Amino acid sequence: MRVSSRPILAARRRRQLHPFFFRMGPVGLCICSVLLISLMAVLYLSQLGQAVTANQQIQTLHRQQATLAREDQDLVQQIAQEQSPVYIAAHAKAMGLIPADPKTVIVLVISHLKPIPSYSQHLQP
Amino acid sequence: MNVEMQRARRRQMFIFLLVTFGMLVLLARLYYWQVLQSHSGYNLAQQANQEHLQNQILDAPRGLIYDSAGRILASNIIRDDVYIEPVQFSVDHPNGDTQGDLQTLIGALHGALPSISIDTLQKAFHDGMAQGLWAERVAVRITPAQSQTLRNLQLSDVFLQPHTWRVYPGGTLASQILGFVTQNDTGNAGMYGIEKQYNSLLQGTPGSLTAETDLQGNPLTLAPGNEQPAVSGANLTLTIDSNVQYMVETALANAVKQLDAMSGTVVILNVRTGAVVSMAGYPTFDPNQYGQYANQLGCENQAGVYFNPAIYCVYEPGSTMKAVTMSAGLDTGLITPDTTLDDQGCMSFSDAAQVCNWEDLAYGTESMTGVLIHSANVGAAYVAHNILHTTHYYPYLQKFGFGQATGIADGQENPGSYRQPGNPLWSVSDLTRQAFGEAIYATPLQVALVYQTIANGGMQMQPYMVASIQGNGHNANTQPVVKRRVISANAAQLLTGMLEQAATKGFAQLAQVPGYSIAAKTGTATTQGISADQTVASVAGFIPASNPKFVILVKLDRPQKAIYGSTAAAPLWGYIAQQLMWYYNVPPDLPL
Repeated sequence: MRVSSRPILAARRRRQLHPFFFRMGPVGLCICSVLLISLMAVLYLSQLGQAVTANQQIQTLHRQQATLAREDQDLVQQIAQEQSPVYIAAHAKAMGLIPADPKTVIVLVISHLKPIPSYSQHLQP
Repeated sequence: MNVEMQRARRRQMFIFLLVTFGMLVLLARLYYWQVLQSHSGYNLAQQANQEHLQNQILDAPRGLIYDSAGRILASNIIRDDVYIEPVQFSVDHPNGDTQGDLQTLIGALHGALPSISIDTLQKAFHDGMAQGLWAERVAVRITPAQSQTLRNLQLSDVFLQPHTWRVYPGGTLASQILGFVTQNDTGNAGMYGIEKQYNSLLQGTPGSLTAETDLQGNPLTLAPGNEQPAVSGANLTLTIDSNVQYMVETALANAVKQLDAMSGTVVILNVRTGAVVSMAGYPTFDPNQYGQYANQLGCENQAGVYFNPAIYCVYEPGSTMKAVTMSAGLDTGLITPDTTLDDQGCMSFSDAAQVCNWEDLAYGTESMTGVLIHSANVGAAYVAHNILHTTHYYPYLQKFGFGQATGIADGQENPGSYRQPGNPLWSVSDLTRQAFGEAIYATPLQVALVYQTIANGGMQMQPYMVASIQGNGHNANTQPVVKRRVISANAAQLLTGMLEQAATKGFAQLAQVPGYSIAAKTGTATTQGISADQTVASVAGFIPASNPKFVILVKLDRPQKAIYGSTAAAPLWGYIAQQLMWYYNVPPDLPL
């Protein structure tokens, strides 16, 4: 009896078209699914962990920023206080300095003297 | 299909229907809570958001205030307030040794904050528990060291709340220019001075942060949120110089104390620009502790000490006003410095009250320059009454700016006042008296502006105190603005010469500065209804007269040890003028 080769070829083509795991049974498919879901869960938890860590770092940085801002304002205040003529005069007096007696001041007039720009910039009447 | 199979199918169908029914019930319930009750009824969505969403107000830092040299006059610091949580404490200690734990907590708090007694803390906790308070403040503005100590202790049911405070590193320095900021739980607001005038610019715009929070209430930065950043307040740079301001304030305070005066004011203007170089009043206050000065009065007890007397407190200028009368005469061409009158010490007018000189001194034939040298009331009244008349006199009062706010501080200025024709109470006596500075009320700044106008060739400048505004959407530098031409350059030059002679030969001799020419006029005003020795002594003028740089006005209210402008105010004027010349390296214009 002569057997046609066509059905065998058709089966071979079907095998080529469908990958092997499509032929997995329900147990294999379940295991794969569980593994896949587990992988995704691990990835998700990993990302979440990183996000939480990053958030904590940001919170820490925020706190540091607030502390630094506070220190910055304190230092600005300290500079402002020490630049204040009230403070300077008080310290000058504490060091024994006294206001100059106008009678003892000698004014030297130097004609054509060019003022020092950085010193006299704000002293322009 | 056999019987077993049919039974199995029925069982399956029953279970399916049961599950389906259950699912439908659950769906219906879900619809009820998620849809019907989410935004109405229990408003679950909002309640849920309140649980895990936090809305924070982001404070906008108030802008700083600088002087002309970049020194900070007003800045901010952050300090913590300490809060306790009485209700939370009782929740945290339902059955345990509450009293023992409370004593431990109070002991720790007292250790960190020794200024708060144990009794006070106990009372705060017990009252808070009784009243059901979730948070109660027990300390304000603690030191950084105390904050750190409390943070290290990590006390439960105690938390720190940061709070921004306005501070003025110079203390009383320029306080009546700056004003102060009232600070409370709802925010802050500028009161008086620059802080009030520029409050909207200085305070900026608060931002907001809406974000999901963790269990500790920290915002989850990576979660969806909505942040509206705060816009910082603008920084202001003033025209005043701290060093000059300090020198002036110190000298003024010393003068007021030495002369046993009630109060005093000094104004210094830049002649060419109208910028305020210094503006000082005494008594004054410390804006860091403004509450302690609430009942103190300044400027002849006319107003609270918070007001800037240079722009708020009016007075009768006295003889410094004679410069205005002479200005009007010279500008109209109706007089010259050499125009003469016969001064017999008193002058009678047919339609006005008699006017007399100080101690009725007679000067005989007297020039207009002589009127200023002698500070003769008769001469001034004669010019106003017999030469200028109302038609030529009052327009100059208007042009010099009397009775009008200068515009330097919106809403905080007193415009002053004077009677003029048209006012039912006006009489010709007002004209003769106004000619020598009575029956007219002006602020020190208005009188200083008169002399600025004369020194600047007749051009009055708009006075200003803010040199620049940076930030909060602004980036502007103030440019000097000519307000108006009041008198001609020629009249201003003639008057400068007359005032120079008045200073050298007249009553302002104690104001002389070696090496510098000055143009100045003294004034001694008395107030009707009080003793004649209760004066307002003043000097107004500019230096150097040959090339004016600064206008200086000194005013002392009711000095007791010396009562005249020539003896009380002139020495202070001279001291301030000399210091200014040295500080700004102005070369002398006279041989030393």
